[in-house]
Amino acid sequence: MSAVSLLINHKNCMGCHACEVACKQEHGLGVGPQLVRVMEKAPKFIPIYCHQCGNAPCQKACPVDAIVTNEMGIVLVIREKCIGCRVCVEACPFDAMQFDESVALAMMCDVCIHRLAVGKQTACMGVCPTQCISITGSKKSIASVFERAASSVVA
Amino acid sequence: MIERIRREIETIEESANRLKVLAEDNPAIRRNAEIISTFTYLLKFITQVHPAGNGEGGKMIDEVTQVRTVCRSCHGGCGVIAHVKDNTVIKVEGDPDSPISHGTLCSKGLAVTQLVYHPDRITHPMKKTETGWQRITWDEALDTIADKFKRVIAEYGPESIVIGQGTGRDYESHLYRFANMLGTPNVLTAGHMCYVSRVASTLITCGTLPVADYNGNPKLIVLWGANPLWTNPDEYKAELFWNAFAKGAKLIVIDPRKGFTAEKADLWLQIRPGTDAALALGFHHVIIEEELYDKEFVANHVHGWDAFKDRVKEYPLERVQEITWIDKNLIRRAARMYATTKPAAIHWGVPTEQTNNCVNYTRTATGLMAITGNLDAPGGNALFVNPPTRTVAEFAQHKSLSAEQQKKRLGGDQFKLGARVALINPKKAWDAILTEKPYPLKAGILCGTNPVVTRANAKEAYAALNKIEFLAVVDFFMTPTADLADIFLPSATWLETNHIADNWKRHGYVLARQKAVQVDECWQDHKIFMELGKRLGQQWWDTVDEALDYLLEPAGLTWEQFKEKGFLKGEMVYQKYKQRGFSTPTKKVELYSTILEKWGYDPLPKYVEVPESPISKPDVAEHYPYILDAGLRTPTYFHTANRAQPWLREIREYPIVEIHPETANKHAIKEGQWVYIESPRGKIKQRAKLNDGIDPRVIVAEHGWWYPEMKEEGHGWDVSNINLLTDNAFETLDPAMGSTNLRVCLCSIAPCNDA
Repeated sequence: MSAVSLLINHKNCMGCHACEVACKQEHGLGVGPQLVRVMEKAPKFIPIYCHQCGNAPCQKACPVDAIVTNEMGIVLVIREKCIGCRVCVEACPFDAMQFDESVALAMMCDVCIHRLAVGKQTACMGVCPTQCISITGSKKSIASVFERAASSVVA
Repeated sequence: MIERIRREIETIEESANRLKVLAEDNPAIRRNAEIISTFTYLLKFITQVHPAGNGEGGKMIDEVTQVRTVCRSCHGGCGVIAHVKDNTVIKVEGDPDSPISHGTLCSKGLAVTQLVYHPDRITHPMKKTETGWQRITWDEALDTIADKFKRVIAEYGPESIVIGQGTGRDYESHLYRFANMLGTPNVLTAGHMCYVSRVASTLITCGTLPVADYNGNPKLIVLWGANPLWTNPDEYKAELFWNAFAKGAKLIVIDPRKGFTAEKADLWLQIRPGTDAALALGFHHVIIEEELYDKEFVANHVHGWDAFKDRVKEYPLERVQEITWIDKNLIRRAARMYATTKPAAIHWGVPTEQTNNCVNYTRTATGLMAITGNLDAPGGNALFVNPPTRTVAEFAQHKSLSAEQQKKRLGGDQFKLGARVALINPKKAWDAILTEKPYPLKAGILCGTNPVVTRANAKEAYAALNKIEFLAVVDFFMTPTADLADIFLPSATWLETNHIADNWKRHGYVLARQKAVQVDECWQDHKIFMELGKRLGQQWWDTVDEALDYLLEPAGLTWEQFKEKGFLKGEMVYQKYKQRGFSTPTKKVELYSTILEKWGYDPLPKYVEVPESPISKPDVAEHYPYILDAGLRTPTYFHTANRAQPWLREIREYPIVEIHPETANKHAIKEGQWVYIESPRGKIKQRAKLNDGIDPRVIVAEHGWWYPEMKEEGHGWDVSNINLLTDNAFETLDPAMGSTNLRVCLCSIAPCNDA
């Protein structure tokens, strides 16, 4: 596990899809890439999202090192380096890595780092009526991520 | 510089338009092209190239302001913070300080920018000409409507004009005021089978609508045909339900379909669709037999207890099991749990109203709340006290409609409870248009409603609206209903509206919905009725805000002051009946209704068999063997709305019909396949989803479907529209309210091999 990632308590996910739309709005995404999505298998719902794996398979699979762990410990795709080969999409064990057809680049959840930096929840967390989305990580690691994010924003 | 920007934007826009045509067969690419169109539209605003941009040409402003407002993407009223830059909403967020939603916001509210700035949205008035739709001014549009209305009034009387709305965007006060001052009793709304029908039924039973008091810490919640986590919550928010449940409340779910809440429930009662009134009578049977009722309450506050008890004796659990398909022991356990867990709240949903038993069910369920001591008790079903603003009824001046005109209300003699709350049944309107009996409806204005898709027997609704001599429609898009109109008036969304939100609800709050932006020439509905009314000689205020001042006057606030405050809450007092009784003729809970008796209806509730079922129509069931649950409501759509918004459409791209795997197997239907669903009235197609959480004898289809992307007239209104299958014949309606049996009929299914 990296320092911080989303954690969705799937038992309490009731399939309202608010998180999906909040994420699209926050990241300005069109149809296609879904950085968080909910599969329906009534009466159960299965949230699919990036788990920020330690030793991330996507990172290992990328032939051009476009997927990196940044200074805050968050796994990210560097868009300038991505060649759109989709190997990472295949490699992701959670089916969470997304591919934006409109620009032919891989995309993944960035844990709304720009929101965490200013002390806000991720876009998906706040809208969930059953509060089943949280941020995981030790208190210390979350705090340090916040701090580092904040200082990087200031800088 | 600005000229270059303009050219660049136009180039992008042209490319997007070309892409839309090229990608006709690829919905994903087509919708992305639509999003690009939306962005170019936004860019035009920001750069002041678009006529609606109100800043100074070429001046770029970076500042983002936050406007606190209230959503109206459903009945919700959730708090929203709109981020506005250069007269453009760039983002919306849930408002953590909202007293009723605490920062939560659903997919429909979150996707509102794709509604406001949708490239297909119509943002100026139009008239239909021989060569198609043509842009006109507001003056021409309103003058045309006013002239037509004046001519109809002179020739046929004001009753020949029908005023209609759908589920409403909080403009009921203005729409009714317009109708009443015009002199027409013919107001056609969804209310005959949705919300107002429960208000009317409880009005005659206990004086007002009892609402689940989630903040009062119920120890048991009964979700009766309701899924507040998925769909329109009216008074209740998903989060409120969830918090009460998470605190440890027990849960009983009554639903034909195993959904998320059924999975979580202590008891799930899988009911045969449409038989809720029988189940409620069965609950009473157990509670009376086992003497689990509140004897003090019954002795002092119930009218007609002995007669009611006798009626309940007609519903022993064996009979109720036979009617509802629910095991009698499970019914007994549920009734006991409800009667012995205090406090307990019943949260009922609209399927209980959209039947021939609307009044029967609502009155019986109100009886359950009453005899268990949960009525107007904390954590039970409260009769909330609204803040002291003027009511919709007072603003609407219902009393100004003369007795002579009231008598002319279509179906008023037949559906006296519906008439009491100033409503007509749609079939009465269609008949008056098609047969001109008892008199013709010649003209109408329909605001935010799409009856061609939402009303039962859609074929008849379409024929009637196609025939009516003159029709004006107020909406955001060209809908299947708007296609039939002569004049199109562009309405403002909730982000472009000033209003006292939720002022018709019974949850004890009013909230400040304030305008964040102006979009092109769109007007809020309230202003449309005001300005049209003035042209017809009606008394209105000069501005929308002055009318709001009038509504707020009893609270001692002006609109400007209320905006600052954000909301008002009524001062809640529980168990008011102890001081002043209930607001009924006998001052008691009228399980025996003196009003229904006076009107000539059965004064006691009962269960009448679903009009088209294997029991009532065995001959029909031979050809149409399945019970159709005609209209699952899903979280990303509100009735017929939202299907043009790419973020929402991506989540649920096609209409889904749920079929039990055994049933699907019998008809060789595979997951994801298009399926024909047919009833004696019509045939449509939706895509199959196998679900073993429904009864194999039941088919669950989705409601509200049309295809905004089909650009030809009608927009595919007859492809997947479930209401082509439902019935609106008079014998299928609630006898007192005129509620349509919108939810249950018989159907057959077959795989669709041509698509």
